[in-house]
Amino acid sequence: MLTLECLQHTVARAILGVPQFGLSPLLEAGGADPIQRLRIYQNNTRASLTSTLIAVFPVTTRLVDERFFRYAAGAFISFHPPSEPRLVRYGAEFPNFLRTFDGLSEMPFVAEIARLEWAIAEALDAASLPAADIGALKATGEAVPELPLQPSLRFVISHWPVMSIWSAHQESGDLDRLDASTRNPERVALWRSGDNVRFALLTSAEFSFRSSLKAGLGLERAVARALTHDPMFDVAGALVRLFRDELVIDIRNNRND
Amino acid sequence: MTRMPQLTIPKAAGIGLRSPHIAEMLTRRPSAGWLEVHAENYMGNSAQVAALETLRQIYPLSVHGVGLSLGSANGLDRDHLKRLAKVVSRFEPDLVSEHLAWSAADGAYLNDLLPLRYDEAALAIVADNVMLVQDTLKRHVQIENLSAYLEFTNSTMTEAEFLAALVKRTGCGLLLDINNVYVSAHNLGFDAARFIDTLPADAIGEIHLAGHAVNKIGNDTVLIDDHGSRVPPAVWSLYASAIRKLGPRPTLIEWDTALPTFEVLLGEAMWADMLVASIEFARRGSTPATTRNHAGRQPSIVVPFDRKPSPSSMPVLAAFETVRSNGFAEAHQPGRNGHAHA
Repeated sequence: MLTLECLQHTVARAILGVPQFGLSPLLEAGGADPIQRLRIYQNNTRASLTSTLIAVFPVTTRLVDERFFRYAAGAFISFHPPSEPRLVRYGAEFPNFLRTFDGLSEMPFVAEIARLEWAIAEALDAASLPAADIGALKATGEAVPELPLQPSLRFVISHWPVMSIWSAHQESGDLDRLDASTRNPERVALWRSGDNVRFALLTSAEFSFRSSLKAGLGLERAVARALTHDPMFDVAGALVRLFRDELVIDIRNNRND
Repeated sequence: MTRMPQLTIPKAAGIGLRSPHIAEMLTRRPSAGWLEVHAENYMGNSAQVAALETLRQIYPLSVHGVGLSLGSANGLDRDHLKRLAKVVSRFEPDLVSEHLAWSAADGAYLNDLLPLRYDEAALAIVADNVMLVQDTLKRHVQIENLSAYLEFTNSTMTEAEFLAALVKRTGCGLLLDINNVYVSAHNLGFDAARFIDTLPADAIGEIHLAGHAVNKIGNDTVLIDDHGSRVPPAVWSLYASAIRKLGPRPTLIEWDTALPTFEVLLGEAMWADMLVASIEFARRGSTPATTRNHAGRQPSIVVPFDRKPSPSSMPVLAAFETVRSNGFAEAHQPGRNGHAHA
Protein backbone atom coordinates (compact mmCIF):
# COMPACT_ATOMS: atom_id res chain seq x y z
CA MET A 1 0.00 0.00 0.00
CA LEU A 2 1.28 3.45 -0.91
CA THR A 3 2.12 5.81 1.92
CA LEU A 4 -0.26 8.75 2.21
CA GLU A 5 2.49 11.04 0.94
CA CYS A 6 3.00 8.94 -2.24
CA LEU A 7 -0.74 8.66 -2.72
CA GLN A 8 -1.17 12.44 -2.51
CA HIS A 9 1.79 13.01 -4.82
CA THR A 10 0.34 10.65 -7.44
CA VAL A 11 -3.17 12.06 -7.27
CA ALA A 12 -1.97 15.66 -7.33
CA ARG A 13 0.06 15.00 -10.48
CA ALA A 14 -2.96 13.35 -12.08
CA ILE A 15 -5.16 16.32 -11.22
CA LEU A 16 -2.65 18.66 -12.83
CA GLY A 17 -2.92 16.64 -16.02
CA VAL A 18 0.26 14.55 -15.79
CA PRO A 19 -0.74 10.98 -16.76
CA GLN A 20 -0.19 8.54 -13.85
CA PHE A 21 -0.02 4.76 -14.15
CA GLY A 22 -1.74 2.46 -11.71
CA LEU A 23 -4.30 4.97 -10.47
CA SER A 24 -7.44 2.83 -10.80
CA PRO A 25 -6.65 0.38 -7.97
CA LEU A 26 -6.23 3.32 -5.58
CA LEU A 27 -9.68 4.78 -6.17
CA GLU A 28 -13.32 3.90 -5.61
CA ALA A 29 -16.54 5.76 -6.29
CA GLY A 30 -19.50 3.71 -5.12
CA GLY A 31 -20.61 1.97 -8.30
CA ALA A 32 -19.23 4.61 -10.66
CA ASP A 33 -16.01 4.77 -12.65
CA PRO A 34 -13.45 6.38 -10.33
CA ILE A 35 -11.31 7.68 -13.20
CA GLN A 36 -14.33 9.58 -14.53
CA ARG A 37 -14.81 10.97 -11.04
CA LEU A 38 -11.17 12.01 -10.87
CA ARG A 39 -11.86 14.18 -13.93
CA ILE A 40 -14.24 16.23 -11.79
CA TYR A 41 -11.28 17.21 -9.61
CA GLN A 42 -9.19 17.93 -12.70
CA ASN A 43 -11.98 20.15 -14.04
CA ASN A 44 -12.48 21.89 -10.71
CA THR A 45 -8.81 22.76 -10.42
CA ARG A 46 -8.48 23.90 -13.99
CA ALA A 47 -11.79 25.81 -14.12
CA SER A 48 -11.33 27.62 -10.82
CA LEU A 49 -7.73 28.63 -11.55
CA THR A 50 -8.65 29.69 -15.09
CA SER A 51 -11.40 31.92 -13.65
CA THR A 52 -8.84 33.36 -11.27
CA LEU A 53 -6.54 34.24 -14.18
CA ILE A 54 -9.38 35.68 -16.28
CA ALA A 55 -10.33 37.92 -13.36
CA VAL A 56 -6.76 39.19 -13.02
CA PHE A 57 -6.05 39.55 -16.75
CA PRO A 58 -9.33 40.79 -18.33
CA VAL A 59 -7.75 42.93 -21.07
CA THR A 60 -5.24 40.22 -21.95
CA THR A 61 -8.24 37.88 -22.25
CA ARG A 62 -9.94 40.26 -24.68
CA LEU A 63 -6.78 40.76 -26.72
CA VAL A 64 -6.29 37.07 -27.47
CA ASP A 65 -9.94 35.95 -27.31
CA GLU A 66 -11.29 34.04 -24.32
CA ARG A 67 -10.97 30.61 -25.96
CA PHE A 68 -7.29 31.11 -26.65
CA PHE A 69 -6.80 32.56 -23.18
CA ARG A 70 -8.37 29.45 -21.62
CA TYR A 71 -6.07 27.26 -23.70
CA ALA A 72 -3.03 29.25 -22.56
CA ALA A 73 -4.25 29.27 -18.95
CA GLY A 74 -4.68 25.48 -19.03
CA ALA A 75 -1.08 25.03 -20.12
CA PHE A 76 0.13 27.55 -17.54
CA ILE A 77 -1.78 25.83 -14.71
CA SER A 78 -0.16 22.47 -15.52
CA PHE A 79 3.36 23.94 -15.63
CA HIS A 80 2.98 26.53 -12.89
CA PRO A 81 0.29 25.47 -10.42
CA PRO A 82 -0.16 27.86 -7.49
CA SER A 83 2.51 27.41 -4.85
CA GLU A 84 0.28 28.66 -2.04
CA PRO A 85 -3.41 29.11 -1.20
CA ARG A 86 -3.63 32.88 -1.60
CA LEU A 87 -5.10 33.06 -5.08
CA VAL A 88 -4.54 36.82 -5.27
CA ARG A 89 -0.88 35.87 -5.53
CA TYR A 90 -1.48 33.50 -8.43
CA GLY A 91 -0.41 34.65 -11.87
CA ALA A 92 2.90 36.46 -11.24
CA GLU A 93 4.68 34.23 -13.79
CA PHE A 94 1.84 34.34 -16.31
CA PRO A 95 3.07 37.41 -18.29
CA ASN A 96 6.46 35.77 -18.82
CA PHE A 97 4.80 32.50 -19.73
CA LEU A 98 2.75 34.29 -22.41
CA ARG A 99 5.86 35.90 -23.88
CA THR A 100 7.00 32.61 -25.38
CA PHE A 101 3.66 30.78 -25.59
CA ASP A 102 2.37 29.32 -28.90
CA GLY A 103 2.15 32.09 -31.44
CA LEU A 104 2.27 34.92 -28.92
CA SER A 105 5.95 35.66 -29.53
CA GLU A 106 4.66 37.43 -32.65
CA MET A 107 2.51 39.67 -30.44
CA PRO A 108 4.83 40.80 -27.64
CA PHE A 109 2.40 43.50 -26.50
CA VAL A 110 0.06 40.78 -25.16
CA ALA A 111 2.58 39.76 -22.52
CA GLU A 112 3.26 43.45 -21.83
CA ILE A 113 -0.44 44.10 -21.16
CA ALA A 114 -0.45 41.07 -18.88
CA ARG A 115 2.51 42.60 -17.02
CA LEU A 116 0.51 45.81 -16.51
CA GLU A 117 -2.51 43.85 -15.31
CA TRP A 118 -0.38 41.92 -12.84
CA ALA A 119 0.95 45.22 -11.45
CA ILE A 120 -2.68 46.36 -11.04
CA ALA A 121 -3.54 43.13 -9.20
CA GLU A 122 -0.59 43.62 -6.85
CA ALA A 123 -1.57 47.22 -6.17
CA LEU A 124 -5.16 46.21 -5.36
CA ASP A 125 -3.93 43.78 -2.70
CA ALA A 126 -1.61 46.32 -1.07
CA ALA A 127 -2.46 48.83 1.65
CA SER A 128 -3.66 52.34 0.84
CA LEU A 129 -2.28 54.56 3.61
CA PRO A 130 -3.18 58.14 4.52
CA ALA A 131 -1.07 60.62 2.57
CA ALA A 132 1.31 63.15 4.11
CA ASP A 133 0.74 66.85 3.48
CA ILE A 134 3.21 68.89 1.48
CA GLY A 135 2.89 71.66 4.05
CA ALA A 136 4.79 69.52 6.54
CA LEU A 137 7.72 69.40 4.13
CA LYS A 138 8.31 73.15 4.37
CA ALA A 139 8.43 73.05 8.12
CA THR A 140 11.46 70.76 8.28
CA GLY A 141 15.03 71.84 8.97
CA GLU A 142 18.07 71.68 6.71
CA ALA A 143 18.51 67.90 6.46
CA VAL A 144 17.02 66.23 3.38
CA PRO A 145 13.99 64.26 4.53
CA GLU A 146 13.13 60.73 3.47
CA LEU A 147 9.82 60.32 1.69
CA PRO A 148 8.42 56.79 2.01
CA LEU A 149 5.81 56.15 -0.70
CA GLN A 150 2.53 54.21 -0.82
CA PRO A 151 3.16 50.46 -0.53
CA SER A 152 0.80 49.85 -3.46
CA LEU A 153 2.90 51.95 -5.88
CA ARG A 154 4.03 49.89 -8.89
CA PHE A 155 5.95 50.81 -12.05
CA VAL A 156 5.65 49.38 -15.52
CA ILE A 157 7.97 50.42 -18.33
CA SER A 158 7.30 49.04 -21.77
CA HIS A 159 8.36 49.44 -25.39
CA TRP A 160 4.67 49.26 -26.18
CA PRO A 161 1.92 51.78 -25.39
CA VAL A 162 0.51 49.48 -22.68
CA MET A 163 -1.43 52.16 -20.84
CA SER A 164 -3.12 53.34 -24.05
CA ILE A 165 -4.05 49.80 -25.08
CA TRP A 166 -5.33 49.01 -21.60
CA SER A 167 -7.39 52.24 -21.40
CA ALA A 168 -8.95 51.65 -24.81
CA HIS A 169 -10.25 48.32 -23.53
CA GLN A 170 -12.00 49.82 -20.52
CA GLU A 171 -15.74 50.52 -20.59
CA SER A 172 -15.14 54.20 -21.28
CA GLY A 173 -12.37 53.45 -23.77
CA ASP A 174 -12.44 54.03 -27.51
CA LEU A 175 -10.90 51.14 -29.43
CA ASP A 176 -11.10 53.03 -32.73
CA ARG A 177 -8.72 55.68 -31.50
CA LEU A 178 -6.15 53.06 -30.72
CA ASP A 179 -3.56 52.71 -33.43
CA ALA A 180 -1.80 49.56 -32.33
CA SER A 181 0.82 49.95 -35.02
CA THR A 182 2.35 52.97 -33.29
CA ARG A 183 5.02 51.66 -31.05
CA ASN A 184 5.60 54.31 -28.41
CA PRO A 185 7.25 53.33 -25.20
CA GLU A 186 5.24 54.16 -22.08
CA ARG A 187 6.28 54.52 -18.46
CA VAL A 188 3.44 53.95 -16.02
CA ALA A 189 3.14 54.48 -12.30
CA LEU A 190 0.05 52.98 -10.68
CA TRP A 191 -1.20 52.73 -7.14
CA ARG A 192 -4.33 51.91 -5.16
CA SER A 193 -6.63 54.65 -3.96
CA GLY A 194 -9.59 53.20 -2.03
CA ASP A 195 -11.37 50.73 -4.30
CA ASN A 196 -9.66 52.06 -7.42
CA VAL A 197 -6.27 52.12 -9.07
CA ARG A 198 -4.82 55.44 -10.18
CA PHE A 199 -2.37 55.76 -13.05
CA ALA A 200 0.20 58.31 -14.18
CA LEU A 201 2.17 58.33 -17.44
CA LEU A 202 5.65 59.62 -16.69
CA THR A 203 8.62 61.05 -18.55
CA SER A 204 11.81 59.04 -18.28
CA ALA A 205 13.19 61.55 -15.74
CA GLU A 206 10.14 61.50 -13.50
CA PHE A 207 9.88 57.72 -13.83
CA SER A 208 13.46 57.48 -12.66
CA PHE A 209 12.79 59.93 -9.80
CA ARG A 210 9.74 58.10 -8.49
CA SER A 211 11.06 54.57 -8.92
CA SER A 212 14.35 55.52 -7.20
CA LEU A 213 12.41 56.96 -4.27
CA LYS A 214 10.25 53.85 -4.10
CA ALA A 215 13.38 51.70 -4.13
CA GLY A 216 14.55 53.57 -1.03
CA LEU A 217 17.52 55.34 -2.65
CA GLY A 218 16.66 58.60 -0.91
CA LEU A 219 15.68 62.00 -2.24
CA GLU A 220 19.13 63.16 -3.24
CA ARG A 221 20.01 60.11 -5.30
CA ALA A 222 16.54 60.05 -6.83
CA VAL A 223 17.02 63.63 -8.02
CA ALA A 224 20.53 62.84 -9.29
CA ARG A 225 19.19 59.91 -11.30
CA ALA A 226 16.37 61.99 -12.76
CA LEU A 227 18.87 64.64 -13.81
CA THR A 228 20.83 62.08 -15.84
CA HIS A 229 17.68 61.57 -17.92
CA ASP A 230 16.91 65.27 -18.17
CA PRO A 231 19.35 67.97 -17.07
CA MET A 232 16.40 70.41 -16.90
CA PHE A 233 14.38 68.11 -14.57
CA ASP A 234 12.03 70.26 -12.48
CA VAL A 235 12.56 68.95 -8.95
CA ALA A 236 10.01 71.23 -7.28
CA GLY A 237 7.32 70.34 -9.82
CA ALA A 238 8.01 66.61 -9.40
CA LEU A 239 7.74 66.92 -5.61
CA VAL A 240 4.44 68.78 -5.87
CA ARG A 241 3.05 66.10 -8.19
CA LEU A 242 4.26 63.38 -5.84
CA PHE A 243 2.28 64.91 -2.96
CA ARG A 244 -0.69 65.82 -5.13
CA ASP A 245 -0.94 62.16 -6.20
CA GLU A 246 -1.07 61.30 -2.47
CA LEU A 247 1.91 59.01 -2.86
CA VAL A 248 3.97 60.27 0.09
CA ILE A 249 2.92 58.59 3.31
CA ASP A 250 5.42 60.17 5.68
CA ILE A 251 8.13 62.82 5.93
CA ARG A 252 11.06 61.41 7.87
CA ASN A 253 13.77 63.79 8.87
CA ASN A 254 17.25 62.29 9.04
CA ARG A 255 19.11 63.41 12.12
CA ASN A 256 22.62 62.59 10.99
CA ASP A 257 24.01 66.12 11.20
CA MET B 1 -5.29 48.42 14.72
CA THR B 2 -8.93 48.81 15.73
CA ARG B 3 -10.02 46.85 18.75
CA MET B 4 -12.86 44.48 17.84
CA PRO B 5 -15.95 44.18 20.03
CA GLN B 6 -16.79 40.74 21.40
CA LEU B 7 -19.70 39.50 19.33
CA THR B 8 -20.91 35.94 19.83
CA ILE B 9 -22.27 34.03 16.87
CA PRO B 10 -25.92 33.21 17.62
CA LYS B 11 -27.53 29.81 17.06
CA ALA B 12 -29.17 31.29 14.01
CA ALA B 13 -28.52 31.73 10.32
CA GLY B 14 -25.65 33.74 8.91
CA ILE B 15 -24.36 34.35 5.42
CA GLY B 16 -21.08 33.77 3.64
CA LEU B 17 -19.75 37.21 2.73
CA ARG B 18 -18.46 37.40 -0.84
CA SER B 19 -16.75 40.45 -2.33
CA PRO B 20 -19.55 41.50 -4.77
CA HIS B 21 -21.88 41.94 -1.77
CA ILE B 22 -19.52 43.95 0.40
CA ALA B 23 -20.54 47.40 -0.87
CA GLU B 24 -24.21 46.58 -0.23
CA MET B 25 -23.41 45.27 3.25
CA LEU B 26 -21.62 48.51 4.06
CA THR B 27 -24.39 50.79 2.87
CA ARG B 28 -27.48 48.80 3.88
CA ARG B 29 -26.26 46.95 6.97
CA PRO B 30 -28.99 44.32 6.62
CA SER B 31 -30.03 42.19 9.56
CA ALA B 32 -27.87 39.18 8.86
CA GLY B 33 -27.29 37.15 12.01
CA TRP B 34 -23.57 36.76 11.41
CA LEU B 35 -20.96 36.61 8.66
CA GLU B 36 -18.42 34.10 7.53
CA VAL B 37 -15.46 34.88 5.28
CA HIS B 38 -12.79 32.78 3.63
CA ALA B 39 -9.56 33.43 5.48
CA GLU B 40 -7.49 33.36 2.29
CA ASN B 41 -9.31 36.40 0.86
CA TYR B 42 -8.31 38.56 3.81
CA MET B 43 -4.59 37.89 4.04
CA GLY B 44 -3.53 40.98 2.08
CA ASN B 45 -4.32 44.65 2.54
CA SER B 46 -6.97 45.17 -0.12
CA ALA B 47 -10.00 47.44 0.17
CA GLN B 48 -12.17 44.47 1.18
CA VAL B 49 -9.94 43.85 4.20
CA ALA B 50 -10.62 47.40 5.36
CA ALA B 51 -14.34 46.86 4.67
CA LEU B 52 -14.38 43.72 6.81
CA GLU B 53 -12.80 45.63 9.69
CA THR B 54 -15.81 47.96 9.53
CA LEU B 55 -18.36 45.14 9.22
CA ARG B 56 -16.73 43.22 12.06
CA GLN B 57 -17.68 46.10 14.38
CA ILE B 58 -21.35 45.26 13.75
CA TYR B 59 -21.61 41.59 12.84
CA PRO B 60 -20.33 38.49 14.63
CA LEU B 61 -17.72 36.86 12.44
CA SER B 62 -16.52 33.39 11.58
CA VAL B 63 -13.25 32.87 9.71
CA HIS B 64 -13.31 29.84 7.45
CA GLY B 65 -10.00 28.61 6.06
CA VAL B 66 -9.99 26.82 2.73
CA GLY B 67 -6.28 26.41 2.04
CA LEU B 68 -4.49 25.00 5.08
CA SER B 69 -4.53 21.42 3.75
CA LEU B 70 -4.80 19.77 7.17
CA GLY B 71 -4.55 16.36 5.52
CA SER B 72 -1.22 16.94 3.80
CA ALA B 73 1.11 14.06 4.61
CA ASN B 74 4.18 16.29 4.35
CA GLY B 75 3.01 18.69 7.02
CA LEU B 76 1.41 22.09 7.16
CA ASP B 77 2.63 25.14 5.25
CA ARG B 78 3.98 27.11 8.25
CA ASP B 79 3.91 30.40 6.37
CA HIS B 80 0.26 29.91 5.58
CA LEU B 81 -0.50 29.03 9.18
CA LYS B 82 1.18 32.29 10.22
CA ARG B 83 -0.99 34.17 7.77
CA LEU B 84 -4.10 32.50 9.20
CA ALA B 85 -2.95 33.47 12.70
CA LYS B 86 -2.59 37.06 11.53
CA VAL B 87 -6.12 37.10 10.11
CA VAL B 88 -7.45 35.65 13.38
CA SER B 89 -5.67 38.24 15.51
CA ARG B 90 -6.74 41.04 13.16
CA PHE B 91 -10.45 40.22 13.10
CA GLU B 92 -10.84 38.31 16.39
CA PRO B 93 -13.58 36.06 14.98
CA ASP B 94 -15.87 34.12 17.29
CA LEU B 95 -15.35 30.92 15.27
CA VAL B 96 -12.50 29.55 13.18
CA SER B 97 -12.86 26.54 10.93
CA GLU B 98 -11.05 24.46 8.31
CA HIS B 99 -11.60 21.24 6.36
CA LEU B 100 -10.80 17.58 6.74
CA ALA B 101 -9.04 17.55 3.39
CA TRP B 102 -5.81 18.00 1.53
CA SER B 103 -5.23 20.55 -1.22
CA ALA B 104 -1.49 20.63 -1.70
CA ALA B 105 1.24 18.15 -2.54
CA ASP B 106 4.86 18.74 -3.63
CA GLY B 107 4.44 22.47 -3.30
CA ALA B 108 1.50 22.61 -5.73
CA TYR B 109 -1.77 24.00 -4.41
CA LEU B 110 -4.73 22.47 -6.27
CA ASN B 111 -7.43 24.90 -5.13
CA ASP B 112 -9.76 22.00 -4.38
CA LEU B 113 -10.51 19.91 -1.31
CA LEU B 114 -9.54 16.26 -1.68
CA PRO B 115 -10.57 13.41 0.57
CA LEU B 116 -8.16 11.35 2.66
CA ARG B 117 -7.62 7.66 2.93
CA TYR B 118 -9.33 7.26 6.28
CA ASP B 119 -6.97 5.14 8.37
CA GLU B 120 -4.82 5.34 11.51
CA ALA B 121 -1.84 6.80 9.65
CA ALA B 122 -3.94 9.65 8.25
CA LEU B 123 -5.59 10.20 11.62
CA ALA B 124 -2.18 10.64 13.26
CA ILE B 125 -1.15 13.17 10.60
CA VAL B 126 -4.38 15.19 10.71
CA ALA B 127 -4.48 15.13 14.52
CA ASP B 128 -0.91 16.49 14.67
CA ASN B 129 -1.79 19.20 12.18
CA VAL B 130 -4.98 20.18 14.00
CA MET B 131 -3.08 20.33 17.32
CA LEU B 132 -0.46 22.57 15.72
CA VAL B 133 -3.18 24.89 14.38
CA GLN B 134 -4.95 25.02 17.74
CA ASP B 135 -1.66 25.69 19.56
CA THR B 136 -0.74 28.42 17.11
CA LEU B 137 -4.13 30.12 17.17
CA LYS B 138 -4.53 29.45 20.92
CA ARG B 139 -8.12 28.37 20.38
CA HIS B 140 -10.20 25.45 19.25
CA VAL B 141 -11.02 25.13 15.59
CA GLN B 142 -13.94 23.42 13.90
CA ILE B 143 -13.27 20.85 11.22
CA GLU B 144 -15.64 20.44 8.30
CA ASN B 145 -16.67 17.25 6.52
CA LEU B 146 -16.08 17.08 2.78
CA SER B 147 -18.06 16.78 -0.39
CA ALA B 148 -16.41 14.01 -2.36
CA TYR B 149 -16.62 12.43 -5.80
CA LEU B 150 -14.36 9.48 -5.05
CA GLU B 151 -12.70 7.71 -2.16
CA PHE B 152 -9.42 5.89 -1.69
CA THR B 153 -9.22 2.14 -1.35
CA ASN B 154 -7.98 0.62 1.92
CA SER B 155 -9.75 3.09 4.21
CA THR B 156 -10.29 1.41 7.56
CA MET B 157 -12.97 3.80 8.78
CA THR B 158 -15.62 6.11 7.38
CA GLU B 159 -15.16 9.85 7.19
CA ALA B 160 -17.65 10.27 10.04
CA GLU B 161 -15.77 7.78 12.25
CA PHE B 162 -12.55 9.57 11.37
CA LEU B 163 -14.04 12.93 12.42
CA ALA B 164 -15.33 11.43 15.67
CA ALA B 165 -11.85 10.06 16.42
CA LEU B 166 -10.29 13.41 15.55
CA VAL B 167 -12.56 15.18 18.04
CA LYS B 168 -11.46 12.72 20.73
CA ARG B 169 -7.76 13.20 20.00
CA THR B 170 -7.62 16.94 19.55
CA GLY B 171 -10.68 18.37 21.28
CA CYS B 172 -11.54 20.17 18.05
CA GLY B 173 -15.11 21.07 17.16
CA LEU B 174 -16.97 20.03 14.05
CA LEU B 175 -18.51 22.02 11.27
CA LEU B 176 -21.25 19.88 9.79
CA ASP B 177 -21.83 20.72 6.14
CA ILE B 178 -25.24 19.23 5.42
CA ASN B 179 -24.95 19.76 1.68
CA ASN B 180 -21.58 18.00 1.69
CA VAL B 181 -23.06 15.03 3.53
CA TYR B 182 -25.87 14.85 1.01
CA VAL B 183 -23.57 15.21 -2.00
CA SER B 184 -21.03 12.64 -0.78
CA ALA B 185 -23.72 10.20 0.35
CA HIS B 186 -25.20 10.29 -3.14
CA ASN B 187 -21.87 10.15 -4.98
CA LEU B 188 -20.32 7.41 -2.88
CA GLY B 189 -23.42 5.52 -1.85
CA PHE B 190 -23.65 5.86 1.91
CA ASP B 191 -26.45 6.76 4.31
CA ALA B 192 -26.51 10.49 5.02
CA ALA B 193 -28.52 10.20 8.25
CA ARG B 194 -26.19 7.56 9.64
CA PHE B 195 -23.22 9.78 8.83
CA ILE B 196 -24.68 12.56 10.96
CA ASP B 197 -25.61 10.11 13.74
CA THR B 198 -21.99 8.92 13.90
CA LEU B 199 -20.66 12.40 14.68
CA PRO B 200 -20.39 13.44 18.33
CA ALA B 201 -23.38 15.82 18.55
CA ASP B 202 -21.88 18.06 21.24
CA ALA B 203 -18.86 18.82 19.07
CA ILE B 204 -20.93 20.27 16.23
CA GLY B 205 -20.59 24.03 16.64
CA GLU B 206 -21.70 25.13 13.20
CA ILE B 207 -23.66 23.95 10.19
CA HIS B 208 -23.21 24.83 6.52
CA LEU B 209 -25.99 24.83 3.92
CA ALA B 210 -25.58 25.31 0.17
CA GLY B 211 -26.87 24.25 -3.20
CA HIS B 212 -25.32 21.74 -5.56
CA ALA B 213 -25.52 20.93 -9.26
CA VAL B 214 -26.67 17.64 -10.77
CA ASN B 215 -24.44 16.36 -13.56
CA LYS B 216 -25.02 13.38 -15.81
CA ILE B 217 -21.84 11.70 -17.02
CA GLY B 218 -22.94 8.70 -19.06
CA ASN B 219 -25.00 6.56 -16.69
CA ASP B 220 -23.48 8.20 -13.68
CA THR B 221 -25.42 10.97 -11.97
CA VAL B 222 -22.98 13.02 -9.92
CA LEU B 223 -23.84 15.81 -7.54
CA ILE B 224 -21.36 18.66 -7.84
CA ASP B 225 -20.85 20.82 -4.77
CA ASP B 226 -20.79 24.13 -6.64
CA HIS B 227 -22.47 26.40 -4.06
CA GLY B 228 -24.24 27.97 -7.01
CA SER B 229 -27.96 27.73 -6.26
CA ARG B 230 -30.61 27.76 -3.55
CA VAL B 231 -30.47 25.07 -0.90
CA PRO B 232 -32.45 22.23 -2.49
CA PRO B 233 -35.42 20.56 -0.74
CA ALA B 234 -33.54 17.35 0.03
CA VAL B 235 -30.82 19.32 1.83
CA TRP B 236 -33.41 21.31 3.83
CA SER B 237 -34.90 17.96 4.78
CA LEU B 238 -31.60 16.59 6.02
CA TYR B 239 -31.00 19.87 7.85
CA ALA B 240 -34.38 19.61 9.56
CA SER B 241 -33.63 16.11 10.78
CA ALA B 242 -30.19 17.22 12.00
CA ILE B 243 -31.70 20.17 13.89
CA ARG B 244 -34.28 17.87 15.50
CA LYS B 245 -31.43 15.77 16.76
CA LEU B 246 -28.94 18.50 17.66
CA GLY B 247 -31.10 21.49 18.47
CA PRO B 248 -30.38 24.88 16.86
CA ARG B 249 -26.82 25.57 15.71
CA PRO B 250 -25.20 28.55 14.00
CA THR B 251 -26.07 27.87 10.35
CA LEU B 252 -24.36 29.40 7.37
CA ILE B 253 -25.75 29.89 3.87
CA GLU B 254 -22.84 29.45 1.46
CA TRP B 255 -23.02 30.70 -2.10
CA ASP B 256 -19.86 30.95 -4.19
CA THR B 257 -20.63 30.65 -7.90
CA ALA B 258 -23.36 32.41 -9.91
CA LEU B 259 -23.92 34.74 -6.95
CA PRO B 260 -27.55 35.81 -6.55
CA THR B 261 -28.81 39.22 -5.49
CA PHE B 262 -28.30 39.94 -1.87
CA GLU B 263 -32.03 39.51 -1.12
CA VAL B 264 -31.97 35.90 -2.29
CA LEU B 265 -29.08 35.15 0.03
CA LEU B 266 -30.81 36.82 2.98
CA GLY B 267 -34.01 34.98 2.04
CA GLU B 268 -32.24 31.63 2.32
CA ALA B 269 -30.96 32.61 5.76
CA MET B 270 -34.48 33.61 6.81
CA TRP B 271 -35.78 30.28 5.52
CA ALA B 272 -33.27 28.45 7.73
CA ASP B 273 -34.33 30.50 10.76
CA MET B 274 -38.01 29.81 10.08
CA LEU B 275 -37.38 26.11 9.72
CA VAL B 276 -35.51 26.00 13.03
CA ALA B 277 -38.22 28.08 14.72
CA SER B 278 -40.95 25.72 13.57
CA ILE B 279 -38.98 22.72 14.80
CA GLU B 280 -38.41 24.44 18.14
CA PHE B 281 -42.10 25.29 18.50
CA ALA B 282 -42.98 21.72 17.70
CA ARG B 283 -40.39 20.42 20.15
CA ARG B 284 -41.66 22.58 22.99
CA GLY B 285 -45.17 21.38 22.48
CA SER B 286 -44.37 17.72 22.01
CA THR B 287 -44.23 14.88 24.47
CA PRO B 288 -41.07 12.84 24.92
CA ALA B 289 -42.71 10.06 22.91
CA THR B 290 -43.13 12.37 19.95
CA THR B 291 -39.51 13.44 20.21
CA ARG B 292 -38.42 9.85 19.93
CA ASN B 293 -40.69 9.54 16.95
CA HIS B 294 -38.93 12.42 15.26
CA ALA B 295 -35.49 11.08 15.87
CA GLY B 296 -36.15 7.79 14.19
CA ARG B 297 -37.96 9.20 11.21
CA GLN B 298 -36.62 9.39 7.70
CA PRO B 299 -36.07 12.99 6.65
CA SER B 300 -38.92 14.00 4.42
CA ILE B 301 -39.45 17.66 5.16
CA VAL B 302 -39.05 20.11 2.35
CA VAL B 303 -40.65 23.22 3.79
CA PRO B 304 -40.22 24.79 7.16
CA PHE B 305 -43.46 23.36 8.45
CA ASP B 306 -43.63 19.94 9.91
CA ARG B 307 -45.99 17.92 7.77
CA LYS B 308 -46.41 15.19 10.31
CA PRO B 309 -49.07 16.01 12.82
CA SER B 310 -47.35 17.30 15.87
CA PRO B 311 -48.59 19.83 18.35
CA SER B 312 -47.37 23.31 18.00
CA SER B 313 -47.52 26.43 20.05
CA MET B 314 -47.98 28.49 16.88
CA PRO B 315 -51.78 28.71 16.56
CA VAL B 316 -51.85 28.57 12.79
CA LEU B 317 -49.52 25.60 12.67
CA ALA B 318 -51.54 23.88 15.35
CA ALA B 319 -54.67 24.40 13.27
CA PHE B 320 -52.97 23.01 10.19
CA GLU B 321 -51.84 20.02 12.12
CA THR B 322 -55.29 19.36 13.48
CA VAL B 323 -56.63 19.30 9.96
CA ARG B 324 -53.78 17.17 8.72
CA SER B 325 -53.89 14.67 11.52
CA ASN B 326 -57.53 14.03 10.74
CA GLY B 327 -56.51 13.28 7.18
CA PHE B 328 -53.37 11.32 7.84
CA ALA B 329 -54.73 9.73 10.97
CA GLU B 330 -51.93 8.76 13.24
CA ALA B 331 -55.09 7.98 15.04
CA HIS B 332 -53.71 5.94 17.87
CA GLN B 333 -52.07 8.81 19.55
CA PRO B 334 -55.00 10.44 21.29
CA GLY B 335 -54.24 13.59 23.11
CA ARG B 336 -51.55 14.75 20.69
CA ASN B 337 -53.82 17.22 18.98
CA GLY B 338 -54.77 20.47 20.52
CA HIS B 339 -52.39 20.22 23.43
CA ALA B 340 -50.15 22.98 22.50
CA HIS B 341 -48.12 24.37 25.35
CA ALA B 342 -46.08 27.47 25.25
